Amino acid sequence: MKERILMVVFVVILGSVLTSALVAVAYYTGPRIERNKVLKLKMSVLGALDISYTEDNVERQFSENVTMNEIKGTSFYVSQDGDIAFEIAGSGLWGPVSGVLALSSDLETIKGITIIHQEETPGLGGRIAERDYLGRFKGKKLAPELRILAPGKAGAQAGDNEVDGITGATLSSKAFERILNSESRKYIPLIEENKQ
Amino acid sequence: MMLRKLLGAKGYKAVKNGIWSNQPVFSMVLGICSALAVTNRVSNAIAMGAGVTFVLIATSLVISPLRALIPLRARIITYMITIASFVTIVDRFLKAFYPGISEAIGPYVGLIITNCIIMGRAEAFYIQNNISHSVLDALSNGIGYSYALISIAIVRELLGFGTLLGVRVMPTGWTNWVVMTLAPGAFFLLGIFLWVTRTAADIEPRARE
Repeated sequence: MKERILMVVFVVILGSVLTSALVAVAYYTGPRIERNKVLKLKMSVLGALDISYTEDNVERQFSENVTMNEIKGTSFYVSQDGDIAFEIAGSGLWGPVSGVLALSSDLETIKGITIIHQEETPGLGGRIAERDYLGRFKGKKLAPELRILAPGKAGAQAGDNEVDGITGATLSSKAFERILNSESRKYIPLIEENKQ
Repeated sequence: MMLRKLLGAKGYKAVKNGIWSNQPVFSMVLGICSALAVTNRVSNAIAMGAGVTFVLIATSLVISPLRALIPLRARIITYMITIASFVTIVDRFLKAFYPGISEAIGPYVGLIITNCIIMGRAEAFYIQNNISHSVLDALSNGIGYSYALISIAIVRELLGFGTLLGVRVMPTGWTNWVVMTLAPGAFFLLGIFLWVTRTAADIEPRARE
């Protein structure tokens, strides 16, 4: 019995000491991690709005070129040209996908997309986060709705609503299509309402 | 021989075992999961190697001095909470100071907890040996693990991306071997790495009885 009590006491003491160390580390790194998150969001917004930046001048480029609006608790980022960006989120094939979608001022044409977080298969669905792939969405129309087709099937004109998917990642492509359409249907009416 | 005198017979043996004759990756074949997963770029391999080395040393610094106090039956849970705490510290540190690397190797930092090298060394060495030998053992196992990862990563990044630490090395006409950036490339290279190093270290597979 005594041995068992000693065992519990030992584990509790060691656990408390290590936990206090963790609390100290969390307290020390917390603000920095928060700042990195904000910075990452700003970089994603700038990237989606096609405003160039380097790691050193993110803050300046953001404050000079982007104004933030809040409508019903949702943040919208407006560039000087009137392009509007907002955060999108949804489930991919394996896990949550989040990013920023930017539209031209007609609220129909995609200006750019950046991905903040995704957990798709590396090398297949994971390629949705690659700049090369996201570049294909530039100039495509969200109306009546965006369609991601089998690779090679999409129309070549800039003004249409079809984009090539990724070979071997049909389900991730479908999930991405669903996220883009449902999020734009959710946020575009909010922006239009606010305009009038 | 200088080194042998400096470290003492036991310390020398710990270093030699960790770096070469009992090297964690090719001799004990531990830590393979992360050796496959984070070796696509050299920077990731360095971060992972440094992370594991830090956790090894920190764990040895806790387990070894407490070895007389740790109740026999609570050994494993003691290792677990110690390792888990230090891994969380590494994870927070990377998130705060190296967000890019943290994003690239993401979930694998948390998986250091289950890296058999650390549990294995704690059970095989730190629980029985004094602090200085344990730290030497931790350091040399960390170095052994790191150079295995980094040497695989050098080949993968060179062939797969044409770069080293993000700097373009290959000539402009170079076609990237996409397979090297994917899982199969990692398996091929790990196989070749094991083959070469095990032959060089003269490790025979156990003879069939």
